[in-house]
Amino acid sequence: MAQLYVVQSADFTFLLHQTGMTPGNLSAHLSKLEDAGYVEVTKEFLDRKPHTALTLTKKGRAAFKEYRKKVKQFVEKLPE
Amino acid sequence: MTKEPNLKEIERRAYMSYHQDGLLDIFAGLYILGFGIGILMDILWEFGFGVIMPSVILVTVLPIWIAAKRKITLPRIGYVNFGIRGANKLIAIFVGLMVAGLGAFFVFTFAVFQGGPREWLDFIFQNGMIFVGVGSLAVCVLFGYSMGLKRLYAYGLIALTILVIGHFMGIFFAYILLALGIMVMVTGFALLIGFVKKYPLKGDKAIAE
Repeated sequence: MAQLYVVQSADFTFLLHQTGMTPGNLSAHLSKLEDAGYVEVTKEFLDRKPHTALTLTKKGRAAFKEYRKKVKQFVEKLPE
Repeated sequence: MTKEPNLKEIERRAYMSYHQDGLLDIFAGLYILGFGIGILMDILWEFGFGVIMPSVILVTVLPIWIAAKRKITLPRIGYVNFGIRGANKLIAIFVGLMVAGLGAFFVFTFAVFQGGPREWLDFIFQNGMIFVGVGSLAVCVLFGYSMGLKRLYAYGLIALTILVIGHFMGIFFAYILLALGIMVMVTGFALLIGFVKKYPLKGDKAIAE
Protein backbone atom coordinates (compact mmCIF):
# COMPACT_ATOMS: atom_id res chain seq x y z
CA MET A 1 0.00 0.00 0.00
CA ALA A 2 2.91 2.31 0.75
CA GLN A 3 4.11 1.87 -2.86
CA LEU A 4 0.73 2.94 -4.22
CA TYR A 5 0.39 5.73 -1.65
CA VAL A 6 3.35 7.69 -3.08
CA VAL A 7 2.23 7.48 -6.73
CA GLN A 8 -1.01 8.19 -8.55
CA SER A 9 -1.18 4.77 -10.20
CA ALA A 10 1.14 1.90 -11.08
CA ASP A 11 0.89 -1.46 -12.77
CA PHE A 12 1.61 -4.98 -11.55
CA THR A 13 5.13 -5.14 -13.05
CA PHE A 14 6.18 -1.90 -11.38
CA LEU A 15 4.93 -3.04 -7.97
CA LEU A 16 6.64 -6.39 -8.47
CA HIS A 17 10.04 -4.71 -8.94
CA GLN A 18 9.51 -2.18 -6.18
CA THR A 19 8.35 -4.63 -3.53
CA GLY A 20 10.58 -7.57 -4.49
CA MET A 21 7.62 -9.94 -3.95
CA THR A 22 6.85 -12.97 -6.07
CA PRO A 23 4.03 -12.55 -8.64
CA GLY A 24 1.77 -14.98 -6.78
CA ASN A 25 2.34 -13.30 -3.43
CA LEU A 26 1.75 -9.80 -4.81
CA SER A 27 -1.33 -10.96 -6.67
CA ALA A 28 -2.79 -12.40 -3.46
CA HIS A 29 -2.07 -9.15 -1.57
CA LEU A 30 -3.69 -7.05 -4.29
CA SER A 31 -6.76 -9.26 -4.44
CA LYS A 32 -7.30 -8.82 -0.70
CA LEU A 33 -6.78 -5.07 -0.95
CA GLU A 34 -9.21 -4.90 -3.88
CA ASP A 35 -11.82 -6.92 -1.97
CA ALA A 36 -11.46 -4.52 0.97
CA GLY A 37 -12.04 -1.59 -1.40
CA TYR A 38 -8.55 -0.17 -0.79
CA VAL A 39 -7.23 -0.68 -4.33
CA GLU A 40 -8.98 0.03 -7.60
CA VAL A 41 -8.06 -2.02 -10.67
CA THR A 42 -8.52 -0.27 -14.01
CA LYS A 43 -8.23 -2.12 -17.30
CA GLU A 44 -7.14 0.14 -20.14
CA PHE A 45 -5.21 0.14 -23.41
CA LEU A 46 -1.69 1.57 -23.69
CA ASP A 47 -0.18 1.57 -27.18
CA ARG A 48 -3.00 -0.77 -28.24
CA LYS A 49 -1.97 -3.29 -25.58
CA PRO A 50 -4.14 -4.26 -22.61
CA HIS A 51 -2.84 -2.74 -19.40
CA THR A 52 -3.91 -3.01 -15.78
CA ALA A 53 -3.46 0.10 -13.64
CA LEU A 54 -3.71 -0.07 -9.86
CA THR A 55 -4.76 2.94 -7.81
CA LEU A 56 -5.24 3.44 -4.10
CA THR A 57 -8.86 4.45 -3.44
CA LYS A 58 -9.89 7.25 -1.05
CA LYS A 59 -10.84 4.56 1.45
CA GLY A 60 -7.42 2.94 0.97
CA ARG A 61 -5.59 6.24 1.49
CA ALA A 62 -7.56 6.96 4.64
CA ALA A 63 -6.87 3.44 5.95
CA PHE A 64 -3.15 3.76 5.24
CA LYS A 65 -3.02 7.17 6.97
CA GLU A 66 -4.74 5.64 9.98
CA TYR A 67 -2.29 2.72 9.95
CA ARG A 68 0.67 5.11 9.89
CA LYS A 69 -0.79 7.10 12.77
CA LYS A 70 -1.26 3.96 14.85
CA VAL A 71 2.25 2.66 14.12
CA LYS A 72 3.66 6.06 15.09
CA GLN A 73 1.73 6.08 18.37
CA PHE A 74 2.82 2.51 19.08
CA VAL A 75 6.49 3.27 18.43
CA GLU A 76 6.34 6.42 20.60
CA LYS A 77 4.96 4.41 23.52
CA LEU A 78 7.82 1.91 23.39
CA PRO A 79 10.39 2.26 26.18
CA GLU A 80 13.83 3.63 25.24
CA MET B 1 9.76 -5.34 14.05
CA THR B 2 6.97 -2.97 13.08
CA LYS B 3 8.18 0.42 11.93
CA GLU B 4 6.66 3.44 10.26
CA PRO B 5 7.08 3.22 6.44
CA ASN B 6 9.49 5.85 5.13
CA LEU B 7 7.33 7.28 2.36
CA LYS B 8 9.94 9.76 1.14
CA GLU B 9 12.42 6.91 0.65
CA ILE B 10 9.81 4.76 -1.13
CA GLU B 11 8.91 7.68 -3.39
CA ARG B 12 12.59 8.39 -4.08
CA ARG B 13 13.27 4.73 -4.95
CA ALA B 14 10.24 4.58 -7.25
CA TYR B 15 11.31 7.77 -9.02
CA MET B 16 14.94 6.69 -9.31
CA SER B 17 14.11 3.28 -10.78
CA TYR B 18 12.34 5.13 -13.56
CA HIS B 19 15.48 7.13 -14.44
CA GLN B 20 18.14 4.42 -14.09
CA ASP B 21 17.75 3.37 -17.72
CA GLY B 22 20.36 5.86 -18.97
CA LEU B 23 18.02 7.32 -21.61
CA LEU B 24 18.11 10.73 -19.94
CA ASP B 25 21.92 10.68 -20.10
CA ILE B 26 22.02 9.51 -23.74
CA PHE B 27 19.72 12.28 -24.90
CA ALA B 28 21.31 14.94 -22.66
CA GLY B 29 24.70 13.90 -24.10
CA LEU B 30 23.29 14.09 -27.61
CA TYR B 31 21.98 17.57 -26.86
CA ILE B 32 25.38 18.79 -25.59
CA LEU B 33 27.08 17.12 -28.56
CA GLY B 34 24.67 18.86 -30.95
CA PHE B 35 25.43 22.19 -29.33
CA GLY B 36 29.17 21.61 -29.86
CA ILE B 37 28.69 20.49 -33.48
CA GLY B 38 26.48 23.55 -34.06
CA ILE B 39 29.27 25.88 -32.90
CA LEU B 40 31.79 24.11 -35.16
CA MET B 41 29.37 24.40 -38.11
CA ASP B 42 29.04 28.11 -37.31
CA ILE B 43 32.77 28.52 -37.86
CA LEU B 44 32.74 26.49 -41.09
CA TRP B 45 29.66 28.03 -42.74
CA GLU B 46 29.12 31.20 -40.69
CA PHE B 47 25.47 30.50 -40.11
CA GLY B 48 23.61 30.46 -36.78
CA PHE B 49 23.85 26.68 -36.31
CA GLY B 50 25.07 27.15 -32.73
CA VAL B 51 21.73 28.73 -31.86
CA ILE B 52 19.53 26.58 -34.13
CA MET B 53 21.05 23.14 -33.39
CA PRO B 54 19.93 22.83 -29.73
CA SER B 55 16.34 23.69 -30.70
CA VAL B 56 16.39 21.26 -33.65
CA ILE B 57 17.79 18.50 -31.45
CA LEU B 58 15.23 19.19 -28.71
CA VAL B 59 12.34 18.98 -31.18
CA THR B 60 13.61 15.79 -32.83
CA VAL B 61 14.97 14.04 -29.74
CA LEU B 62 12.01 14.57 -27.39
CA PRO B 63 9.58 12.30 -29.32
CA ILE B 64 12.36 9.67 -29.68
CA TRP B 65 13.01 9.85 -25.92
CA ILE B 66 9.32 9.33 -25.15
CA ALA B 67 9.15 6.42 -27.63
CA ALA B 68 12.31 4.86 -26.15
CA LYS B 69 10.83 5.12 -22.65
CA ARG B 70 7.74 3.28 -23.87
CA LYS B 71 9.67 0.60 -25.76
CA ILE B 72 12.61 0.01 -23.40
CA THR B 73 11.79 1.20 -19.89
CA LEU B 74 8.07 0.59 -19.37
CA PRO B 75 7.97 -3.07 -20.51
CA ARG B 76 10.84 -3.79 -18.11
CA ILE B 77 10.03 -1.96 -14.91
CA GLY B 78 6.35 -1.42 -15.48
CA TYR B 79 4.14 1.61 -15.82
CA VAL B 80 3.85 4.24 -13.13
CA ASN B 81 2.09 7.58 -12.97
CA PHE B 82 3.74 9.87 -10.43
CA GLY B 83 0.84 12.29 -10.55
CA ILE B 84 0.75 16.06 -10.83
CA ARG B 85 2.96 16.73 -7.79
CA GLY B 86 6.11 15.12 -9.24
CA ALA B 87 5.59 16.57 -12.71
CA ASN B 88 4.85 20.04 -11.36
CA LYS B 89 8.16 20.20 -9.51
CA LEU B 90 10.14 19.43 -12.67
CA ILE B 91 8.05 21.76 -14.85
CA ALA B 92 8.54 24.56 -12.30
CA ILE B 93 12.34 24.08 -12.39
CA PHE B 94 12.35 23.88 -16.20
CA VAL B 95 10.20 27.00 -16.62
CA GLY B 96 12.27 28.80 -13.95
CA LEU B 97 15.48 27.99 -15.81
CA MET B 98 13.98 29.06 -19.15
CA VAL B 99 12.85 32.39 -17.67
CA ALA B 100 16.23 32.91 -15.96
CA GLY B 101 18.07 32.03 -19.19
CA LEU B 102 15.93 34.31 -21.35
CA GLY B 103 16.17 37.09 -18.75
CA ALA B 104 19.97 36.82 -18.66
CA PHE B 105 20.04 36.75 -22.48
CA PHE B 106 17.94 39.94 -22.78
CA VAL B 107 19.87 41.78 -20.05
CA PHE B 108 23.12 40.76 -21.71
CA THR B 109 21.98 41.74 -25.22
CA PHE B 110 20.56 45.03 -23.93
CA ALA B 111 23.83 45.81 -22.14
CA VAL B 112 25.93 45.00 -25.24
CA PHE B 113 23.96 47.35 -27.52
CA GLN B 114 23.34 50.04 -24.88
CA GLY B 115 26.90 51.22 -24.51
CA GLY B 116 27.96 52.63 -21.14
CA PRO B 117 30.39 50.89 -18.79
CA ARG B 118 31.63 47.66 -20.33
CA GLU B 119 34.00 46.42 -17.62
CA TRP B 120 31.60 43.78 -16.30
CA LEU B 121 30.70 42.68 -19.83
CA ASP B 122 34.36 42.30 -20.70
CA PHE B 123 34.85 40.33 -17.51
CA ILE B 124 32.02 37.94 -18.50
CA PHE B 125 33.37 37.59 -22.05
CA GLN B 126 36.88 36.90 -20.82
CA ASN B 127 35.72 34.30 -18.27
CA GLY B 128 32.75 32.95 -20.24
CA MET B 129 33.69 29.29 -19.84
CA ILE B 130 33.92 29.60 -16.06
CA PHE B 131 30.45 31.20 -15.97
CA VAL B 132 29.07 28.41 -18.19
CA GLY B 133 30.73 25.88 -15.87
CA VAL B 134 29.17 27.40 -12.75
CA GLY B 135 25.81 27.61 -14.54
CA SER B 136 26.09 23.93 -15.59
CA LEU B 137 26.88 22.91 -12.02
CA ALA B 138 23.87 24.87 -10.73
CA VAL B 139 21.52 23.31 -13.32
CA CYS B 140 22.85 19.80 -12.62
CA VAL B 141 22.52 20.25 -8.84
CA LEU B 142 18.98 21.60 -9.23
CA PHE B 143 17.80 18.73 -11.42
CA GLY B 144 19.88 16.16 -9.49
CA TYR B 145 18.29 17.21 -6.21
CA SER B 146 14.72 17.38 -7.51
CA MET B 147 14.98 14.06 -9.39
CA GLY B 148 17.04 12.27 -6.75
CA LEU B 149 19.75 11.45 -9.31
CA LYS B 150 23.14 11.80 -7.65
CA ARG B 151 25.05 11.22 -10.89
CA LEU B 152 23.86 14.64 -12.09
CA TYR B 153 25.99 16.21 -9.32
CA ALA B 154 28.99 14.36 -10.78
CA TYR B 155 28.17 15.63 -14.29
CA GLY B 156 27.97 19.19 -12.95
CA LEU B 157 31.30 18.91 -11.16
CA ILE B 158 33.00 17.32 -14.20
CA ALA B 159 31.58 20.03 -16.49
CA LEU B 160 32.82 22.78 -14.17
CA THR B 161 36.26 21.18 -13.86
CA ILE B 162 36.70 20.65 -17.61
CA LEU B 163 35.46 24.16 -18.43
CA VAL B 164 37.77 25.79 -15.86
CA ILE B 165 40.74 23.73 -17.13
CA GLY B 166 39.69 24.56 -20.71
CA HIS B 167 39.55 28.26 -19.84
CA PHE B 168 43.08 28.33 -18.44
CA MET B 169 44.53 26.07 -21.15
CA GLY B 170 42.77 27.94 -23.95
CA ILE B 171 40.84 24.92 -25.28
CA PHE B 172 38.11 25.83 -27.74
CA PHE B 173 34.61 25.77 -26.15
CA ALA B 174 33.09 23.54 -28.85
CA TYR B 175 35.72 20.80 -28.25
CA ILE B 176 34.87 20.83 -24.54
CA LEU B 177 31.17 20.46 -25.37
CA LEU B 178 31.97 17.54 -27.70
CA ALA B 179 34.01 15.84 -24.97
CA LEU B 180 31.30 16.41 -22.34
CA GLY B 181 28.54 15.25 -24.69
CA ILE B 182 30.41 12.04 -25.57
CA MET B 183 31.17 11.38 -21.88
CA VAL B 184 27.53 11.79 -20.82
CA MET B 185 26.33 9.67 -23.77
CA VAL B 186 28.80 6.85 -23.04
CA THR B 187 27.68 6.87 -19.38
CA GLY B 188 24.08 6.70 -20.59
CA PHE B 189 24.79 3.71 -22.84
CA ALA B 190 26.62 1.93 -19.99
CA LEU B 191 23.60 2.55 -17.73
CA LEU B 192 21.24 1.35 -20.46
CA ILE B 193 23.19 -1.91 -20.90
CA GLY B 194 23.15 -2.42 -17.12
CA PHE B 195 19.42 -1.64 -16.99
CA VAL B 196 18.56 -4.08 -19.80
CA LYS B 197 20.61 -6.81 -18.08
CA LYS B 198 19.07 -6.08 -14.68
CA TYR B 199 15.51 -6.03 -15.99
CA PRO B 200 15.28 -8.52 -18.86
CA LEU B 201 12.06 -8.60 -20.85
CA LYS B 202 9.70 -11.25 -19.56
CA GLY B 203 6.99 -12.93 -21.61
CA ASP B 204 3.39 -12.09 -20.94
CA LYS B 205 2.94 -15.47 -19.27
CA ALA B 206 5.84 -14.95 -16.88
CA ILE B 207 4.01 -12.28 -14.96
CA ALA B 208 0.58 -13.37 -13.93
CA GLU B 209 -1.58 -10.26 -13.91
